[in-house]
Amino acid sequence: MFERSAFSAPKVFNVKKRMRLMLMIMLLFPLCIAGRLFYLQLFRHEQYSSQAERTIYNYLAEDRVRGGIYDVNGRSLAQSVRTHSCGIVKRYVKDKNATINFLAQTLGLPKAKISENWKKHKNFFFVAKKIKPDVYMELASVLRKPLGRGLELTPEYERIHPFGKSAIDILGEANSKNVGLSGIEQMYNEEMTQDISKKRAKRSARGDIIYDRRLKEKINVANVYLTIDQTAQYYTERALQKAVELNHPERAIALVQDPNTGNILAAASYPAKDGQSLAFQFTYEPGSTFKSIVIATALDSGTLAPTDSIYMDGRNWEVAKGFVVRDKQHNKDYLTLPEILQLSSNVGAGKVAVEIGAKTLFSYFKAFGFGSKTDINFNGESKGSLAPYNTWTKVDLATKGYGYGVAVTPIQLITAYSAIANGGTLMQPHLVDRLEYTGGKVDKKAKPIKIRRVLSEQTAQTMRTFLQTVVEVGSGKRAQIKGFNVAGKTGTAEKLSKEGGYAKRNHVVSFCGMVPATKPQFTILVILDNPSTYAFGSTAAAPVFKEIAEPLLVMKAVAPDQEDF
Amino acid sequence: MKKQLLILLIFMVWAFITTFIHIGVIRSGRVVSQLQREVTIKESRNQYEELEISRLSGPEVITSYAATKLGMVQAKPHEVFVLEDK
Repeated sequence: MFERSAFSAPKVFNVKKRMRLMLMIMLLFPLCIAGRLFYLQLFRHEQYSSQAERTIYNYLAEDRVRGGIYDVNGRSLAQSVRTHSCGIVKRYVKDKNATINFLAQTLGLPKAKISENWKKHKNFFFVAKKIKPDVYMELASVLRKPLGRGLELTPEYERIHPFGKSAIDILGEANSKNVGLSGIEQMYNEEMTQDISKKRAKRSARGDIIYDRRLKEKINVANVYLTIDQTAQYYTERALQKAVELNHPERAIALVQDPNTGNILAAASYPAKDGQSLAFQFTYEPGSTFKSIVIATALDSGTLAPTDSIYMDGRNWEVAKGFVVRDKQHNKDYLTLPEILQLSSNVGAGKVAVEIGAKTLFSYFKAFGFGSKTDINFNGESKGSLAPYNTWTKVDLATKGYGYGVAVTPIQLITAYSAIANGGTLMQPHLVDRLEYTGGKVDKKAKPIKIRRVLSEQTAQTMRTFLQTVVEVGSGKRAQIKGFNVAGKTGTAEKLSKEGGYAKRNHVVSFCGMVPATKPQFTILVILDNPSTYAFGSTAAAPVFKEIAEPLLVMKAVAPDQEDF
Repeated sequence: MKKQLLILLIFMVWAFITTFIHIGVIRSGRVVSQLQREVTIKESRNQYEELEISRLSGPEVITSYAATKLGMVQAKPHEVFVLEDK
């Protein structure tokens, strides 16, 4: 047993001391840990938490969501469809050969190509992009099996045009990242897209990606509805294509407008380039189609009466010394105003312009919208060219009478003709009908807006009668449609040559008209720029008008306005 | 002693139930994820089908089929009898 010496110090004190010491030593460790934790939490928190997050999470970018483009009746013209891309993370793959075989078979790719990519990339590579849903289902079915380990299916979007290249010059293009590059796609890019910011996801031990659902965003993008009617667009493109095959022009344009609302129903360009619609961007000297505007001005300003005749000066009118205007197509000494249009007399139209005077003519041109953008808001729209009237000489004034010395765009000319068609009011042209947001909000864009009255009701009516005679007995006979009165004007303008002056062999041929003439439902403009075959507005453009107008009249069930046919 | 055993038993039952529920939740989560994925895919497949229907019911295809398969000829506007003038 334990014996205590009579002279030794009490042992109890030593035990207590040792226990305290041990306790202090034992507490030292937790204290150190607590201190370290305190330091890490307080001073190094940001650094380590972001490091940890980087280890756990992968930040995966997902493409932007994009609204669709539709025609006025809701027919889809461009739409983003969800697809997937398939990638491989090599380090998670269990059986390389089995995986390559499976992918080659499912995706329809050569094994050699996948193997080559495997060798080329260190850890990750894309095997295929824009995978269709059925193929995706096959791939997804193996994701949880050993065969699917290392496969990564990332969502993305593909822009699809169900009608191929139809109206592509209006629609434009969006790239693979869903960013609009041209045309409507670019103009309404902001309204149509929503960035789904980088989505947070973590990877499981098997290599699967688990998205953090809390970050799911509410989508609110706009669908753009155009005023374009896909059926009208098809008929217009078909007719223009035929004309192109027949006449081989450098460029061709066909434009259909509702004269009562200003809405563009169809717009076709040749060559059709993404987002480059010639209907708004092309400028040209209109030639004889401009005579209608000049005659309308003469009537509306009171310069001439509908029954007045113009002296032809022997069909050789010397406007100024060295500048003679000739008419070779008739041998009349006097022409009435309708005859000037029917025979497309340059002498007659030039004399009318001089009679009106520069200031009045200029103010009417401006009122019709020439020399200014139409505000249709299409990228790259041209405003044409119209010099101030105080710079015009008598020759300038006369030539403007038959459509030279002034540059217009197709949209300007058709809108001016629509003013004649609807009783004298210049309407704001529209290409976009409305924006419909996924949240339910509707932003109506194509409200009929009357810009101004440019002609009196009476003048517009008289002009329609005059233009009707052009189709009945004048140069526009090939635009006649059985059962319907058609009003319109042909144009054959020489183009400016590079050497100066006008090139006799380079023409812009056109026809602008309206149908039915008594109560117009459509205004149609056809332009063929520099046809390689010898062509006139009467022979090349007027038949295209007819070709477009006929199916449109059937489509809209417009009743004939002739009684005996 | 009995009291302590009872507490231990209750704790074990609670742990078992919690684990069971947790496993159930995880399983359901997986099923929900799978269903969500299937819904997305079916939606996108549906979208493709709709676009194909849109293309097939478009004027180009209809006109072509009517002319080539059925031998139909497009009516001229004067041949259309409008019952009610719009």
